Amino acid sequence: MSIILILIPLLAAFAILAGLGKAKSIATIAATANLVLGLGTVFCWKASIWDLSWEVLSKPSIHLSLGFYDGMSLVMVILSVLVLFTAVMSGKCPEGREKLWFSSILFIGAGGLGAFLSTDLFFFYAFHELALIPTFLMIGILGSGDRKNAAWKITIYLALGSIILLAGLIWLVSASGSDTWLFDDLLASSISTDAQSGIAALLIVGFGVLISLFPFHSWAAPAYASAPAPVAMIHAGVLKKFGLYGLIRLYPIVSTGMQDWLVCLIVLLLCNILWVGFVTINQKRLDMILGNSSVMHMGYIFLAFAALIEAGSFEANPLAKPAAVVLMFAHGISIALLFMLTDTIRRKTGTVELAELGGLAKAAPRLAFLFGLAGMASIGLPGLANFSGEVLVFLSGFNNYDGGCLGYVQTATILALWGVVISAVYMLRAYRQTFQGPPVSNTSSEKVKDFGPFCQIPAGILAISLLIVGLYPNSLLQFLDEPEAASSETEQASK
Amino acid sequence: MASLNDYLFVSGLLFAIGLAGVIVRKNIIVIFMCLELMLASASLTLVAFSRFHLLNGLPDYNGQVFVFFIITVAAAEVAVGLAIIVALYRARQTINVEELTSMRG
Amino acid sequence: MESLPWLILGLPLLTAAAIHLGLKKKQPLSALVSTCSAAVTLVLTLVIISKGSDLAGSFTWASIPGFDGIEVGYELNRLSRGMMLVVTGVGFLVHVFSLAYMKDDSALARYFCGLSLFMFSMTGIVLATNFIMMFMFWELVGLSSYLLIGHWYQKDSAADASKKAFLTNRIGDFGFMIGILILWGITGSFTFNGISEFFAEGGHPKTVVPSVTMFSVAILLIFMGAMGKSAQAPLHVWLPDAMEGPTPVSALIHAATMVAAGVFMMVRFFSAVGMETLDSIWGPDIIAWIGAITSLLAALMATQQDDIKKILAYSTLSQLGYMVMAVGLLDPEAGMFHLFTHAWFKALLFLGSGAVIFACHHEQNIWKMGGLKKTMPVTFLTFGIGTIALCGVPGTAGFFSKEHILESAAHSGQWFLFGIAALVACLTTFYMFRLFFVAFLGKPRSENAEHAKEVGPLMSAPLIALALMAIFSGYQFLGGEISPLYKPFEFHPDAPAFIASILAVVIGLFLSWKLYGNTENDPLENRGIFNHFRNKFYIDEAYAKLVGYGQDTLAAFIHFFDELIINGFIVDGFSRAAGGFGRLFGRLQSGNLQGYAVLFGIGVLLVIYLTVFVS
Repeated sequence: MSIILILIPLLAAFAILAGLGKAKSIATIAATANLVLGLGTVFCWKASIWDLSWEVLSKPSIHLSLGFYDGMSLVMVILSVLVLFTAVMSGKCPEGREKLWFSSILFIGAGGLGAFLSTDLFFFYAFHELALIPTFLMIGILGSGDRKNAAWKITIYLALGSIILLAGLIWLVSASGSDTWLFDDLLASSISTDAQSGIAALLIVGFGVLISLFPFHSWAAPAYASAPAPVAMIHAGVLKKFGLYGLIRLYPIVSTGMQDWLVCLIVLLLCNILWVGFVTINQKRLDMILGNSSVMHMGYIFLAFAALIEAGSFEANPLAKPAAVVLMFAHGISIALLFMLTDTIRRKTGTVELAELGGLAKAAPRLAFLFGLAGMASIGLPGLANFSGEVLVFLSGFNNYDGGCLGYVQTATILALWGVVISAVYMLRAYRQTFQGPPVSNTSSEKVKDFGPFCQIPAGILAISLLIVGLYPNSLLQFLDEPEAASSETEQASK
Repeated sequence: MASLNDYLFVSGLLFAIGLAGVIVRKNIIVIFMCLELMLASASLTLVAFSRFHLLNGLPDYNGQVFVFFIITVAAAEVAVGLAIIVALYRARQTINVEELTSMRG
Repeated sequence: MESLPWLILGLPLLTAAAIHLGLKKKQPLSALVSTCSAAVTLVLTLVIISKGSDLAGSFTWASIPGFDGIEVGYELNRLSRGMMLVVTGVGFLVHVFSLAYMKDDSALARYFCGLSLFMFSMTGIVLATNFIMMFMFWELVGLSSYLLIGHWYQKDSAADASKKAFLTNRIGDFGFMIGILILWGITGSFTFNGISEFFAEGGHPKTVVPSVTMFSVAILLIFMGAMGKSAQAPLHVWLPDAMEGPTPVSALIHAATMVAAGVFMMVRFFSAVGMETLDSIWGPDIIAWIGAITSLLAALMATQQDDIKKILAYSTLSQLGYMVMAVGLLDPEAGMFHLFTHAWFKALLFLGSGAVIFACHHEQNIWKMGGLKKTMPVTFLTFGIGTIALCGVPGTAGFFSKEHILESAAHSGQWFLFGIAALVACLTTFYMFRLFFVAFLGKPRSENAEHAKEVGPLMSAPLIALALMAIFSGYQFLGGEISPLYKPFEFHPDAPAFIASILAVVIGLFLSWKLYGNTENDPLENRGIFNHFRNKFYIDEAYAKLVGYGQDTLAAFIHFFDELIINGFIVDGFSRAAGGFGRLFGRLQSGNLQGYAVLFGIGVLLVIYLTVFVS
C-alpha cells in the first residue's frame, strides 16, 4: 500500500509528460493527495497493510519491498511529503516549460519517497538514483546563473559517490552471507571484522559524498544556488538526508568497522561545521549562504552518528538515533522554507546579492517574518524544531561522559558548539543586510509587494511544522520509541 | 623436389610483402592489391599443406578445395571493395589514404 | 492552584500569538490586551506569594527510552516567587508606561507583541526546573531582546545594536551549553533537584566529583552564560548599544529583568550545589573578580558619558558587577537582595529618563537638558529618589542591599574586592549626581528643555509606584515578605562596610557638586585619562578589529583555500585529469587507415602469441 505514495507522483509525472492536462494542476493535486495520505499514515503506520514485497530478481535475490521499516522511515516520509507539497507550489516556472518543470519535481519527489519507503537495499539505492537525472535536467536547463557547470558538477560528483557506494553495498551484501538484499535479512546477519573496516570506509565515503561531507562538499553550494527553487528545496531538504538515513540503517552490521574510522570521521565533521561555517561567513550572496549553511548543518547530524559509533550500539547511546532523526527532519523543513523564501526575494527584487538588498521588511513584512522564523530556526532557536534536534545531538555527544577526561566525541561536541555562534553570525548578518536598515532602490515599497496568500499556504505549513516539533518534540519522538527493529530481529533469528 | 618448408617460406615471404604493402603504400588500389597478395599467399600455404599431407597415398584434397572457396570469396570481395573505392573517389576526388581521415577522433 | 504557574507562563505567549496573528492592524487594542495580560500575571503572582507555597509541576518535553528525558515545568520556592514579583511587577508598570510613551509609534502592536513574548520567556527562566529548560528560555529572552532593541529597525544603528546583542549573548550561550553538558556528565542530571541530590552529602568536592578541575571548569563555563546575559566584562559590549531600543524596553529588559537573569541563574545553580561544596574550589573566586572588574570599568566609563540612557546603562553594568561579585563571594542572599532592590530603582531611573526624553522631544544628551526641576516636578522627585537609592544613601532600599554586599566582602576577608566595591560606590554617587545636577538643576540649555512639561498620569503613576518600592523594598516589613532569599539584615553602624559606604556617598557627592553643580559643559572633557573613560576604553573598537581579523579575514582565507585547493586542485583537477586522459586516448583514433591496420596486425600477433606460446 505504501507504493501508492510513490505511484501518485510517478503516475502524475507520466501524465504530465503525456500531456493529459495542465501540468501545474496535475502536480498540485498529486502533491496534495500525497501530503494528505502521508500525514494520514501517521495514525496507522505500524499496520502491515503498508508492506509490500515482490521478488524482482532471484539471483541475486532482490525484492521490490516497501513499508515503514521503523519510526525513522515514517519521519523521513512525512518530511518528504511536506517538502514535495511545498516544492510543487513554490518557484516560478518559465513560460512553456511546465512539463519539464513539474514532471521533474514529481520524479525527484518520487525518488526520495521510494528511498525512504524501501526495505530492500537495492531499491533503496535505486530510488535515490532515480532522482539524479531530473535534478540534472532542472539545474542545467531551467536553472539560473552558472547553471551548466553546476549541473555537470553535481551530477558527476554524485554519480561517482554512488558508484563508490554501490561497491560498498555489494561488498556488504556478499560479505554478510545473506540470501537477499532485504534489510531484515541483512541486519540479522553479521560480517567478519576485517571486512567491516573496508566496507565501513566505502560506506562513509559513498554516503558522505551524497551528504556533502567535507571534503566532498563543493558540489552543494553552487548547485543549490543555480537550481530552481523546488529542486533546491527537495534536494537539500530530502535527498541529502538519504545518506545519513542509510548510514544509520546499516550501522548495526558494520558497527565494529566504523569504530576504526571514528577519529577520521570526527575530523571531517568538524571541518563541515567549522571550515564550511567560515566559508559561509565569507559569502556575499543569499543563495550561496544557504547552500553552504546546509552543508554545515550536516555536520551536527554526523556528530550524533559519531556519538553512536563511539558508544557501539543503539542501546549504549539511546539519544543518538532520535537526535539524528529529529535534526534531519528539522533541517529539511527549515532549509526548504529558506530556499523558497530566497527565491521569492529573487523574484521580487531581481537580486540575491547582499550588497544590493536592504530594508525589505518595510515593503514585505510577512516575508520578513517568515524568513526571520526560518532563519532563527536554522540557527537553533528554542521553540523551533532545529533546537530540539541540536540539543539532543549535543546531549548524545556527552551521553557517556563521566565527568573526568574528555573523550573524542566530547571534544568534538565542544568544538561543534562554536557552530551555533558561526551560524548566528552569518544568518543575522544576512537578515540584517536584506531586511533591516533603510530600503534601497530595488527593495522600496513601490517595487515590491508582500507575500501573497497563495504563497503563504505552503510556507505556513512548513512554519507550523517547525513550531510543532520545536514546542513539543515528543510529537516526533513518539514514533521512535519502539526498541530497535534490528536488535529484536537478531533476537528472533538467534532463537 | 622442394620440401614443405620451402613452400611455406615462400608463402610467408609473400604474406610479409603483402602486409608491408598494406601498411606502407598510400594508394588505396595498391593496398588492395597487396591485400590480394596476402590472400594468395594463404592459398599457396593451403595447397602446399594439401600436397604434402598424404591420405592413403593421395594428397589431402580438402586444402585444395578450400583454395577454390578463397578465390571465389576474394573475387566477391574485390568487386565490392573496388565499388567502394570508386564511390570514394567520386566523393573525395582522391584515393590517397593519407587524405582520407574524416574518421579521426 | 497547581495551574496558576502554567497560566502565568502561558498567558503572555498566547497574547503574543494573538497579537501577531490577528490584531496587528488594531494597534490600541493590542496594547491594551498586552497590558491586561501583564496585569493578570501580576495579580496571579501576588496570589502565589500570599499563599507562600512551594509548588512544582512539569510535563515531559522530550522523552526517549533509555534516557531520563527533558522536562518543562515550574518550581516555586522563595527565590522564584520573589523573582516572579520583580518580573511581573516591573513588567506591568513598564506596559502601562509604554501605553503613553509609545502611543505615536507606527508599530505599536509589534512592540507589545515583543513585550509579551519577553514576559513569557523571562517567566520561563524564573520558573525553570532544569538547565535545559532554562537554556531554552534563556535563548528566547535573547530573541525578545533582539526584537525589541531592533524595534526601529529601519535605523542602521538599531539594527546593528540588536545583532550585536544577540551575537554576544550567543557567545555566552556557547559556554553555557558546554558547562551544562559537563555538569551533566559529572552529576548525571541537569535538573536542579538532581544536582542538589548529587551534592547532598556535602563535604569536599574531591570525594564527590571525578575531577575537581572539570567541575570548576563547568562552573566557569556556566558562568559564561551569565556573563553574556548579565553583560559582564568582556561580554558587556552589547548593553550600552542596546539603548537603541525604546526606553521602556531598556527599563524592563536591560535593567531589571533580563540582565538579572544571569545572576538569578548562578544563584539557583549555587544553591543547588551547596555553599560548602563550593567553598573549597577556585571557580567562584574568579567569578567574584570578574564582577568586581566589570563594576569598576563600567563605573569609570559612566563618569564621562553624555547620553542619559548610556549613563544608566553603564550604571546597570556596574551594579550587575556588584551582584556577580556577591555570588562569587558565595553570598547569594546579598546578591539577590541587591538584584531585587536594584530592579525597582533602576527601572524607576530608566522610566524617569524616558519621561524626560519624551518631554524634551527625544533629546537624550544631558547637556541639552537642564532646569527640569521646575518644569517636571514629579519626575524630578521620583528620579531623585531613584538616584539616592542607587547611590546607597542610608534610609533607601539601595543602602541596605549595598551594605549587605560590602559586609559580605569584608567578612570573607577579601579586602581588595571590598576596596573596589567601595571605590565603585563612590564613583556611582559621582556620576549619578553628575547626571542629576546637569539634567535637572540649573537653567534649561536648549529649546526642547525649555518647553518640557510634566508627563501624564500613565507615565507618572508607574514612576511613583517604583519610587515607593525604591525606598521601602529594603525594609524587613516589605522586603522580608517578598524579596527572594531574604536574610534579616543586622545593621552595624561601626562596621567597615558602613563607614566605607557613608564615606563613598559623601566624597562622591562633594566631588560631583564641585564639578557639576553649576556648569554649562563638562569640565573633565578632553582631559587625559577621562578621554579614555569617555571612549569606553576603546573596547568596542578592539572587538571590531578582533572580529574583522579573527573572524572575517580568517573566513576569507578559508574560503579562498576552499576554492583553490578543494575546488580548484582536487575537484576540477579530477575533471581536468579525466579530460586529459580522454584526449590522450583520443590520439589513437587518428583517422589514419594504415595506423589502424598496424594496430590490428600487432593485435593479431599478440593473440597468436598468447594462444600458442603461453599457457
